[in-house]
Amino acid sequence: MNLIIVAGTASVANLVTTAAQLDGETLAVVVGSRAVAERIATSGVDKVIWFGEPGDRPLEAFAPAVAQAATAARPQVVLGGRRPAERVLLGAAAAALRAPALIDVKEVTSQAGTVMVTHGVNGGIAVTTREFSGPVALMVDGGGVAPVQGAAPIEETPAATLPMQVTAVQVTAVTEVDLAAAPRVVGAGRGLRAREDLSIIEALAAALEAELACTRPLAEGLDWLPRDRYLGVSGQHIAPRLYVAVGVSGQLQHLAGVRSAETIVAINSDPKAPVLAEADYALVGDLYELVPAITAALEQP
Amino acid sequence: MKIVVAYKWAADPQEATVAADGQVDFSRAKSAVSDYDAVAITVARHLGDTHGADVVGLTVGGPEVATGLATKAALSRGLDALMVVADPALTAAGSTGTAQALATALAGVDDIAVLITGDSSVDVGAKLVPAVVGGLLGWPVLTEVTAVAIEPGALVVERAVSGGTEQLRIDGPAVLAVATDAATVKAPGMKDVLAAAKKPVQQLPADPVVADGTLRSTARLSGPARRGIQISTDDPAAAAAELVSALRADGVLIGGQQ
Amino acid sequence: MAPLTDEQRLVRDSVREFADAEVAPLAAQIDIEHRPPLETVPKLAELGLLGMIVPAEYGGSGTDTLSYIIAIEELARACATTAVMVEAHTSLATWPILAFGTAQQRDRWLPALATGEKLGAFALTEPGAGTDAGAVATTAVREGEEYVLNGQKVFITGGGYAEVFIVIARTSHEGAPHKGLSAFIVERDTPGFTVGEGERKLGIRASSTPPLMFSDVRIPAGALLGNEGDGFKIAMATLDGGRTGIAAQAVGIAQGALEASIAYAKQRVQFGKPIGAQQAIQWMLADMSTDIEAGRQLTYLAAGLEDSGEPFGEAAARAKLFCGQMASRVTGMAIQIHGGNGYTEAYPVERAYRDAKITEIYEGTNEVQRMIIAKSLLR
Repeated sequence: MNLIIVAGTASVANLVTTAAQLDGETLAVVVGSRAVAERIATSGVDKVIWFGEPGDRPLEAFAPAVAQAATAARPQVVLGGRRPAERVLLGAAAAALRAPALIDVKEVTSQAGTVMVTHGVNGGIAVTTREFSGPVALMVDGGGVAPVQGAAPIEETPAATLPMQVTAVQVTAVTEVDLAAAPRVVGAGRGLRAREDLSIIEALAAALEAELACTRPLAEGLDWLPRDRYLGVSGQHIAPRLYVAVGVSGQLQHLAGVRSAETIVAINSDPKAPVLAEADYALVGDLYELVPAITAALEQP
Repeated sequence: MKIVVAYKWAADPQEATVAADGQVDFSRAKSAVSDYDAVAITVARHLGDTHGADVVGLTVGGPEVATGLATKAALSRGLDALMVVADPALTAAGSTGTAQALATALAGVDDIAVLITGDSSVDVGAKLVPAVVGGLLGWPVLTEVTAVAIEPGALVVERAVSGGTEQLRIDGPAVLAVATDAATVKAPGMKDVLAAAKKPVQQLPADPVVADGTLRSTARLSGPARRGIQISTDDPAAAAAELVSALRADGVLIGGQQ
Repeated sequence: MAPLTDEQRLVRDSVREFADAEVAPLAAQIDIEHRPPLETVPKLAELGLLGMIVPAEYGGSGTDTLSYIIAIEELARACATTAVMVEAHTSLATWPILAFGTAQQRDRWLPALATGEKLGAFALTEPGAGTDAGAVATTAVREGEEYVLNGQKVFITGGGYAEVFIVIARTSHEGAPHKGLSAFIVERDTPGFTVGEGERKLGIRASSTPPLMFSDVRIPAGALLGNEGDGFKIAMATLDGGRTGIAAQAVGIAQGALEASIAYAKQRVQFGKPIGAQQAIQWMLADMSTDIEAGRQLTYLAAGLEDSGEPFGEAAARAKLFCGQMASRVTGMAIQIHGGNGYTEAYPVERAYRDAKITEIYEGTNEVQRMIIAKSLLR
């Protein structure tokens, strides 16, 4: 038996496919609305446990329910996504099972009670393969929504929840970005001199129909872009078809976050920027000249 | 009332080197209070000053976390006192093992209003330890916390969520991982450095914790081999045209084959 | 040298964290603008860097001398000008009041200086009195309960913004020239005291070093520091400590240049590999680091002697003599490693090379340091 944790969104296709490759059935534990539970039930899992509508309770309030389900199911592998509530609930399951918890999982196989996990360490600068005989909790990028497949039974279970309550919500931005699902991504770095100059990067991203991403300093130090747009370290790891690094020097962690891209283009004024060595196409020059020129070239028929 | 801050004494992987076999060598990297944990200490200090509460640090790890340098470095950032669990067995502890050691230490402390942690550690970056600690203690856990206030019997918390913020009310103690920008960290002042030696440090014994499985192999991270094609930029327009036609030929632009 | 204490190591970490965040980002720009970074002063004060050697009872940080020296070194690693701003304020203006001031003078001035509310400067050098400090021509004439100052000072570090000046002036023309000097604490807003325009300099361009003019400046008799005739002694004792500070500044400048060179050697590719793979570059880096470490140890030795209450003037002279020349050597090699790039303003080693030279000149030239050392050897 393996368990996947679903929290608030059915975008967990990678969890389902990963679980399907493992020994044993897949149980999905769903925290969130009935609609999510119903969608998960048609994703190819074997069984769904749903704890009822959350109401004004945050998804994290269901940690004891997830822990209880995990304890009862005695899974070999628990899989969860990397969104905040998914992490908290994965941690609750790991705590209940006293299971080691690993992130940045690249490959997992199970056989005869043994689980082999290959995962990135230290921000993805290296990978290790570990063998587990007991239960293990693994964080895997959720991916998109799985194609419709099968119809698993949904068991509605009354949930023990923690005393926490959402009292107010402020919406500041409406768009939610999913860099992991984007086929093309343009990343901006400290080579940009001012926040206004993001507009030339945005124009390039628009011409490429790419998502805009950035390095950690732009999202955290400077606040030029929201934090769900930075790549590497504890940020996201992506594998788009095209990644264009503009004014990005290429610290190891950022590079680890984008290394699985099919094609990498690097534009940097500094000929010694590490990113240039990691690129398929390296352009050493002034991004303020090159980026508008590339945007114009893309817009030509 | 106590505000406890869990922090990690860790080295920055940017200073580490990776050998051909994937072994990560931290021997030349200097350890420090992990970046985001300094944010947590700053948030806790403000909260402690507001409510007249003691701010107590808690760290677990190998013997190096209990050295005078390590404890004073943390204390000089604004803690009133420190609890340390230092044991060679904890050097390689993973998220769950670390959380177990933290939870065991916390079980012996009365009157905790809140446990504050950083967003993630600089060396591992799993963002899992707060969740596992909360699970072990049976406490609520919230991450990406941008503001917190203590009310009688409750915590009022604001956190960043995708597309906005949320206010929450939590009864009883909780584990709160603060957002990376929840407070601006300042370098410790000279007086704080000198005062650190006078603050109490309590060493606690370590209980056994779970291991992260059995290591079978390590490897360097590999991705697709890169072509390393330099495009001359003497003429920006020509460079742009060359790049676009190359990308089109690669089929990675809009409408390219999947 | 004994290993550094935890506190000394944490002072280094803290000042480095601060300097990387608040000091380094301004360094290139203030150099181009010839403008002292006054916006940094409140931040230096908040961290406790403007009163490190001042006891806590006067609002200072109360650290030892070595911690202070480490702080100067770390500031200079990021910006030589910011380092000398702190050094002149601390070693040359605050220290003499601490060492020679009456209880009343200490109570009056130290809290404001230690907290950075007022910055201090030291006015000894004149157009005709550089290395020959005994030749000071500025006069202070006693008139009742006042002294009246007349004369001119030049190259006064911090002169553009300091509010408290230690001024060395002549109170007697009898006997040996240096025995007729006295030290005074003079406030900036005293009538007749004006500050001129500073020269444009080769290095530490952002440092304010204007001339001062005294025209019938009347100060209370209570502004006399020590006794009449103590001026030369006070100035020399002040400069002894200052020399350790300048040695530390030189070490910091060199260290910054070394780090920039290491980074460049790893990244700059020529002949298909990083230049750091060339033995010529490796040897330069090894020599630079050895040179720096030798200078650092001489500097820490002088500071350690001062902390343990032992005579340190000769050790400070050795440290300054060695470190000033060392910083010039090391920054020169840093430019050599950077090649043509290093000769441009785009790389920080260009500034380091210009900044280093002054450490062979101010607070006693190399030649003065040799005089001090030789005098002690041949005593």
